Amino acid sequence: MIKFGKSNLRAPKWSRPVYLVAAGMSDFRKQYPEKKLEELTMMAFKMLLEENDLKMDPLEVKGLINFACYGEFADHFQDQLLCEAKVHDYLGLDPLFNIGIKTGGATGGSTILAAASTVAAGLSDCTLALGWERMDEVITWTGNYYISTAACKDFETRLARNYASYYAPMARRFQEMYGVDERIRAEIAVKNRGYACHSPFSQSPGKHTVDEVLAGDIVSDPLRFLECCVMSVGSAGVLLCSEELAYKLTDNPVKLYTAGGSHTLRTGDRRPMQIPLLPNETASDYEKLYADMEKQDGRWPGFESFAATRFAAYLTYKMAGIENPIEDLDFVETHDAFTISDLQTYGDIGLTLYGQEQEYIKSGDCYLKNPHTGKPGKCPSNLSGGLLGSMHAVGATGIFSCSEVFWQLQGKYDKFHGDPKMWERFGKKKPADWESLQVANPKRGLYVSHAGVGSHVTTGVLEKAW
Amino acid sequence: MSDKVKLNTTKSEIKEKGDAWVLIWPRVGDERGSHRHTYGLLTPYFKGLTEGRLMGTLCTNPGCPISKGKGEIWLPPRADCPDCHAKMEWAEVKNPAGYVYAYTFVERGGTGLEIECPYYQIDVKLPGVCTIVKGWLVNRDKKVKIGDKVKARFRTGADATNTCLDLYWELV
Repeated sequence: MIKFGKSNLRAPKWSRPVYLVAAGMSDFRKQYPEKKLEELTMMAFKMLLEENDLKMDPLEVKGLINFACYGEFADHFQDQLLCEAKVHDYLGLDPLFNIGIKTGGATGGSTILAAASTVAAGLSDCTLALGWERMDEVITWTGNYYISTAACKDFETRLARNYASYYAPMARRFQEMYGVDERIRAEIAVKNRGYACHSPFSQSPGKHTVDEVLAGDIVSDPLRFLECCVMSVGSAGVLLCSEELAYKLTDNPVKLYTAGGSHTLRTGDRRPMQIPLLPNETASDYEKLYADMEKQDGRWPGFESFAATRFAAYLTYKMAGIENPIEDLDFVETHDAFTISDLQTYGDIGLTLYGQEQEYIKSGDCYLKNPHTGKPGKCPSNLSGGLLGSMHAVGATGIFSCSEVFWQLQGKYDKFHGDPKMWERFGKKKPADWESLQVANPKRGLYVSHAGVGSHVTTGVLEKAW
Repeated sequence: MSDKVKLNTTKSEIKEKGDAWVLIWPRVGDERGSHRHTYGLLTPYFKGLTEGRLMGTLCTNPGCPISKGKGEIWLPPRADCPDCHAKMEWAEVKNPAGYVYAYTFVERGGTGLEIECPYYQIDVKLPGVCTIVKGWLVNRDKKVKIGDKVKARFRTGADATNTCLDLYWELV
């Protein structure tokens, strides 16, 4: 049993608020031989400076930057140490200081957290958070091996050399513990890949059916191909700044709150603990769950849940004043690297109680338009297409999710996804059946940035500030 | 040595993708490019496997806030207790047997996988052990389910790989 010390659950108190004023990204592809990595980061940086309706000239905005935080998952993939220096130079930001951030799949979110800390602490008035990954230099199965070195080198990596095989046992255990119908998992793949069809940035859009997902080849039982995200190349960035600067730069600034949690690299080393309760939960909500777990020799978080995500949400909600996530959040972007990790996350972030994740998907509240009622879903998830449908260029991923939440809050889904010229920029044609996935008048959205089988997680709440 | 500097290399192979040149770029060459990795204080665990013994560690510090000196066994072992930082003690798990807590059937692994596919990768819960141990199952002719009983097997002597693969499991 892990026990918390008196101060372990202290919520972060920033010295001053942090705002998000701009976002930019490249498109995402399995292979991108047309451009070098630095050239892809320039695409994201230029979009950030030039296309966010900032009230200053792009180069004037650039002249406000004090600090840069860069996210890159694995030096293996880039085969380049200090890639940060190459990118920083290429973006023309020398001699400002920059740091590289690495926390596996959560690198993007951790990069934002580090960047936010520089503004919150007064180290900087304006900080660039930008991430990337280039996963196309090696063949897919070598890429899988590289990623599996994010499992324990001594005791796990040799047991599969393929990351899906470290998630699959969690899917199996979750499925049996809570009696999950595998069609629910498949539905998540269908939803997110379907939403990706409306994004010009997307790598793996597709109109699939549940039966098609379930009929697909198995990567690692029970996960099928369409339930797993793919290797990706691309970059994304956001610009964070102080309150004073935010209102000078834009009429539509967005306030940011973010915190993180972590847990063991090896899932099996997760000793049981009490669930840290969110403001909308009481101990009695989980009496039955603990009893049911005991019957099946289960434990919390066990293989079923992510304590790191719960801990991150616990802190972030305190910072942002979230009392009841399903009421207070208008939409979310989860880290759906696998269908199972999407499903597990709904309990962790408190959109539903633990153990009821399947019912939450069935309720239809995770859709923009609830398929059962035809009315707006309470808290649509992954309208960007998520990792399953759009991208997982790992170092960029949390920043991509954050950017999509940001644009939604500004009411700019259509501007960035619906302009035919945006599709043409990436060599695509806007589909004739394109639909706007803009949430109606959103006030707050959340993103999750997640590493490994839950080793590092940050959550971020973005709040409309005008 | 001549007075002009020469290159000792071969021509890099190029594949053209549109207007771009894509080079074949080997990262690591022969054994000189390999890592030298230590098992450090966990060496008794890996050595134990090659001798047919499953060795774990436990905290015996009465001042430990969690174990109170009566800790369960950690597998994989750790040299230092994460709760009180005291040095852990080694203990052999006798006749190691447990049950399948979670599993997956691996159809295909990444580059360099040494286990023949397909196979079951299983997570095993053992009595007296506070962690759940990941390993591979030698049986693949029978559908596995959570709760199936397994016992530990070892690759010893000349068969040993000197890696975690030396521990594997067999259905009882």
